[in-house]
Amino acid sequence: MFVLATPIVDWSAMWKIFAVTLAAGAGVVVAFGFLLLGLKLANGSRANGSRASGSRLGGYTLAGVCGALCLGVIVVGVYAMTKKPKSKPTAKPKAAALIVPAPDPHV
Amino acid sequence: MGSTLVLVIVIVAAVSFDFTNGFHDTANAMATSIATGALKPVVAVVLSATLNFVGAFVSISVATTIAKGIVPASATAGAGGLSVVEAALIGAMTWNLITWYFTIPSSSSHALIGGLIGASIASVGSGAVSVHGIVQKVVAPGILAIFVCGIVAFLATSAAYRLIRRLGQEEARAGYRYGQIGSASLVSLAHGTNDAQKTMGVVALALISTGHLSATHFTVPIWVKLICATAMALGTASGGWRIINTMGNRITTVESPQGFAAESASAATILASSYYGYPLSTTQVVSGGVMGAGLGKRGGVVHWPVVGQMVLAWVITLPAAGLVGAAAWNIANVFGKHSQVGAVVIALLAAAMALGLWTLSKRNRVTARDLDRTGVTPEQEAEGAFAARPAAA
Repeated sequence: MFVLATPIVDWSAMWKIFAVTLAAGAGVVVAFGFLLLGLKLANGSRANGSRASGSRLGGYTLAGVCGALCLGVIVVGVYAMTKKPKSKPTAKPKAAALIVPAPDPHV
Repeated sequence: MGSTLVLVIVIVAAVSFDFTNGFHDTANAMATSIATGALKPVVAVVLSATLNFVGAFVSISVATTIAKGIVPASATAGAGGLSVVEAALIGAMTWNLITWYFTIPSSSSHALIGGLIGASIASVGSGAVSVHGIVQKVVAPGILAIFVCGIVAFLATSAAYRLIRRLGQEEARAGYRYGQIGSASLVSLAHGTNDAQKTMGVVALALISTGHLSATHFTVPIWVKLICATAMALGTASGGWRIINTMGNRITTVESPQGFAAESASAATILASSYYGYPLSTTQVVSGGVMGAGLGKRGGVVHWPVVGQMVLAWVITLPAAGLVGAAAWNIANVFGKHSQVGAVVIALLAAAMALGLWTLSKRNRVTARDLDRTGVTPEQEAEGAFAARPAAA
C-alpha cells in the first residue's frame, strides 16, 4: 500500500513539514503561554513587595526567554519567505505545471 | 495591435483576479483576530492589506517560477496562448465571486488551476491535462494540508488551555489577543509573497509571450509588481466580510487562545510547506487550523454542516472553475479563432457577472460593523456571550 502511495505523495517532505509545523506552530503557542505566565509571576511578585524579588526576576527571565523564542520563530518565518526554493519548480502545485504544452497554431 | 489589445485585456483580467483573491483570502489571515476582538475589523483588513502589499515585494521566486520555470514560452506564444490565459483568469475570478456570494472560503489558487485546466482542454483537448499531476500537486496536498494544520492547531490549543488553568482565564485571553495580531500578520505577509506573485507571474508570462519582456534576462518590471501588489492590497482592504464571518464565526466559536493556535499553526504550515517546495492552499490550511483549534478546547464544538459546505466547495472548485474557463474560451471562439472581439466579449460578460453578484450580495450584506467584537471583554468571551453568527446567505 505504501509503495502505491509513494509517487502521489512525497511523504518525506510531508513528514518534514509536519515536524517543523509542530515545532514552530505548537511551540510558539506554548512559549507565548509561558511568556504570559512569566509576566503574571513577575507582576504578582511586585505586588507582594521586596520579599518576592527573586520570584519577580524569575518571572521576567521566563517572559524574556519565551518572548525571544517567539520573536525567533517570526524571524525564521520571514527568512523562509525570502528563501523560497527556486530550484524545485516541479514539486510546486502551480497551475501551469498541470498543463501539457500545446503546439502554437500560429507557429 | 491585435495581440496588444488582448494583452491589455489579459492584464486587466489578471489584476481583477488579484483583487478578488485579496478580498476572498483576507479571511484566511484575519478572521479569528476579528472574531475574538483582538482587532477591529477595519484595522485588521488595513493591516492585512499593508502586509500583503509588502509581501508582494519580498521576493520574485514564485513569479519567476510561473513565468519561466514551468511553461515554455512557445506554449503561450501569440493570441492563442493569451486567449487561454484570459479564459482561465475569468474562470477563476467567476468561481471566486460565486463562492464569496455563498460565503464559502475556497482556494483562489485552485480556482486558477481549474480555470487553466478548463481553458486548456477547450483549446487543445483533454490530452493537455495530466490527471496524475492534478492528483499529485493539487488534490493530495490539499487533503494533507487540512490534517497537518488541523492536528497541530488541535495540539497547540490543548496545550494553551492547560496553561490557561495556571494563568487565569481573563489574563490569558487578553494576552493571547496580542499574540493573535502577530500570528495573523505573519499569515498575511506569507499570503502576499505567494498569491500576489502568482498574478505577477501570469502577467510576466503574457508579456514574455508577446515579446514585451525578455525570457533570457528575466525580471518582473516594477510596474507589474506595483499593479499586482496594489490590486491585492485593495482587494484585501475592501474586506471580504462574508467569508470572514464564515471562517471566524460559523466553523466554531473562536476564543483568543484558539485563534492564536489556529493562526500560528497555519503560518507554520504555509511557510514550512513553501520552504520545502510543497506550497499548499492558504484557505484550506487556515480552515484546517480553525477546525483543529475548535476541537482542541474541551467541549469545543465544530459546526460540521458548515464544514461540509466548505469541503463540497473545495471538491468542486477545480471542475467548476474549469467549466467556466472552458465556457469562456468557447464563447470567445464563437467570434473566430483567437479573435479580439471574442476576448472583449468574454471580458464584458465577466464584468457583468461580477456586477450582478455584487448587486445580489447587497440583499444580505455583512458589514465590518456586524463583525466588530472589540467591545467584548475577556470575561464576556469566557462566558461564551457571543455564539456563532448565522449564515449571511
